[in-house]
Amino acid sequence: MVLYLFFFQNAHSESYVKAGESLIWDSENKTYTANVDVEFKNERFIAFADKMVANYIEENNDEIFTIIELFDNVIIKYEEEIFKGNYAIYTRENNIIKLIGDVSIESPTRILTGNELIADIDNNKRILNSADKESLVEVLLENNAND
Amino acid sequence: MTDYFIKKIINSLIIIFLTLQGIIYFLNQKPLTENFSQKKITVENFSTIVLSNSGITKIGSEKLNKIDDDNIYLEGESHLENKEYKIYGRNISINLSKEISSSDEYVEIINRMGLLKAQGFQNLDYDGKIFFKGKVEFVISK
Repeated sequence: MVLYLFFFQNAHSESYVKAGESLIWDSENKTYTANVDVEFKNERFIAFADKMVANYIEENNDEIFTIIELFDNVIIKYEEEIFKGNYAIYTRENNIIKLIGDVSIESPTRILTGNELIADIDNNKRILNSADKESLVEVLLENNAND
Repeated sequence: MTDYFIKKIINSLIIIFLTLQGIIYFLNQKPLTENFSQKKITVENFSTIVLSNSGITKIGSEKLNKIDDDNIYLEGESHLENKEYKIYGRNISINLSKEISSSDEYVEIINRMGLLKAQGFQNLDYDGKIFFKGKVEFVISK
């Protein structure tokens, strides 16, 4: 049982990048570029896109992703929410995901669409901008609304 | 008169012995040259260190085939290793002057980020870029 829990926990905390066609490691510019059917998973979310460019830094003899850019047909699954858009950028430092272009945010209770989405994961805050009316929509999730 | 003939015979024998020694020396040299040439073309269970612009790279292979002065072919299980990565694959071509290595077969790479598996690669060492081909899975270490 203990072993099962150990392996189950490890399997779910595994971070990876998968690419359907190619991956380029550029150690001069410190980037990884993945192409076609890209899947990226970290401890926070899982993302899918046609292309991904991940920037990294070297820290304590390790390499750590700092900024992840996703291009075309972007889908990001975070807990019970699904974010969609044409382009996304994730910054590890502040745990913010920004999506641009035909954006939607889908939760078990609703779907909202717009032109730009800023998902602040640490503060559980979503900001959805609409291109037409230049209006700002702030969506509070249920667990936040109950606070 | 007898002394004259004895001297002639001795001189002839010396000449014959010297000629025989020359022939033996020549015949002994020939096979050595062939062996030396063979070692330059193919070496088994090979391991070496290459110093290039990008640093020191360790190369190892079941069989090394020298194509020409610039190109070598690592046949069978082979590996390349430097301070940035370890590449484990099969049948890897290396151009030493251009610092390019490549393979169209399954390859595994270990670097500081994690373990990467791909269906082939092209390593432009001088440019610091490695292109991984086909389906790629890169498991990131914690």
